[in-house]
Amino acid sequence: MKKIIFSIITPLILASAAYAADSQIWGEMILSNIKAYGEVSSFSLGPLFVLLQSAYFSKIFLVVVLAVPTVFLLHYLIIGPKVFSHDGDKIYVFSLFQRIIHLIAAVAFLILIPTGLMIIFGKYLGGGSLVLGARYLHGVATLMFIVSVIPMFLFWLIEMLPTLDDIKWVFILGGYLSKEIKEIPAGKFNAGQKMWFWVASLGGVVMIATGAAMYLQDFNYNIAASFGLSQIDFLRASALIHNVLAVLITAFFFTHAYMSLFAIKGAIHSIITGYKENDEVKYLHSSFYKKLKKQGQI
Amino acid sequence: MSSEQARMKFYCDNNRCIECYGCSVACAEAHELPVGISRRKVITLYEGIEGKEVSTSIACMHCSDAPCAQVCPVNCFYIREDGIVLHDKEKCIGCGYCLYACPFGAPQFPRDGAFGTKGAMDKCTMCAGGPEETNSEKERHLYGHNRIAEGKVPICAAVCGTNALLVGDAEEISAIYRKRVSSKGQGA
Ligand code: HEM
Ligand code: SF4
Ligand code: SF4
Repeated sequence: MKKIIFSIITPLILASAAYAADSQIWGEMILSNIKAYGEVSSFSLGPLFVLLQSAYFSKIFLVVVLAVPTVFLLHYLIIGPKVFSHDGDKIYVFSLFQRIIHLIAAVAFLILIPTGLMIIFGKYLGGGSLVLGARYLHGVATLMFIVSVIPMFLFWLIEMLPTLDDIKWVFILGGYLSKEIKEIPAGKFNAGQKMWFWVASLGGVVMIATGAAMYLQDFNYNIAASFGLSQIDFLRASALIHNVLAVLITAFFFTHAYMSLFAIKGAIHSIITGYKENDEVKYLHSSFYKKLKKQGQI
Repeated sequence: MSSEQARMKFYCDNNRCIECYGCSVACAEAHELPVGISRRKVITLYEGIEGKEVSTSIACMHCSDAPCAQVCPVNCFYIREDGIVLHDKEKCIGCGYCLYACPFGAPQFPRDGAFGTKGAMDKCTMCAGGPEETNSEKERHLYGHNRIAEGKVPICAAVCGTNALLVGDAEEISAIYRKRVSSKGQGA
């Protein structure tokens, strides 16, 4: 009788041990994962994650999605958009390849941000298949973003490096506090565009990495160990970083959209057709304009 | 013995646990858990070190102020009046946040979502099923056997041969443990 029971139980235990062997979280690692919760020597990311996720993240996102558009609405009503003639000469600034890559990145962000927000505010949507669908779409859009981020980073890298113009640009806030049209210090890209570039590319890569960690959840422990973290603390760190950077990316994305769609009338056409209005370049990217002039390109 | 409100708790007496895995296997069987999911686990600390080695059985501890419930973005947890922490798998989006919050690594994720991603979270229900109609086919399928509704003790504690694993009202459990400690003159 004993033998029969053993022959039934042994395979069960072996089967669970086999699973345990390839799982970082529920297998042999479970002790170090759990201990890291409150141990003095560990990073104790558990309580920090609980505190921020339960009380702060959704409130911070609420403030960002309400305050940023409100500020821009006020800007539009009080100061108003910059308008440049669309009848003059045009300057070719973005190649077809750049425009296509930018389009892929744009669509990716247009999915990533709303679906991310849907997860964050999931309880008001009742959870279930709607929010689950948002989570799946968030993953699909990540693939689109991965395709676009590397070429975009490479083809704009040189023009996105900081210059002296950028300091001057920041001091006058790009001239957006007045409607007056005068020469603004900026190369092909101004300091604001450069900030967005770095947040979206380097920040984007961090978003891909932290998102992938959460997506995979149970993967080669050497990665977490190389950061001196248990697997669960690594996931907690990923969730924390993903949320904090998401606040920044969301705020910058809204700004980017407002600038191209509203603050400078018709600026969006340049990324569709490749041509920017002569006057827009002349005033808003004055250093770039002078350079083109010197090179005899206009 | 119990005061105003019973609060259901597990307790594993590690002076008694002999690492037999009975609780873990019984749980998997009673709830017909899929491969790879093990709601209750037996762990051993200081393995092989004489005098220090201890084993214990862990699963969801049905925490007061459950951290998992605090972080869930879709609010799919609900805490019964007796303190059992349950969740709604049809609301859950499998984001994993509850795992990050849990001090015991209790929430688990079967890879049955679309494209093999993590599916709805699974954890110990203290044999109390879920939000579906009690003892319905659906409840059984999603959450396992609802023994509490049938007036039975959770299967893990019921099968524990050494009575190491206790379950019940927190105060009654601590009374039993106090009695064990004072009669043996040892224990944590
Ligand atoms: C470059 C941008 C981004 C990338 C590449 C990215 C990628 C990812 C990936 C791969 C996941 C894991 C999904 C899963 O577990 O199935 C994830 C999760 C998440 N993302 Fe993003 N994301 C980005 C931006 C954002 C933004 C802007 C927000 C908020 C507005 C956001 C909010 C979230 C949230 C709340 C989660 C956790 C839920 C979950 O793990 O499913 N993400 N992200
Ligand atoms: S899942 Fe973890 S945090 Fe939630 S009640 Fe169970 S033990 Fe506590
Ligand atoms: S995995 Fe499910 S239960 Fe856990 S926090 Fe996410 S939605 Fe809530």
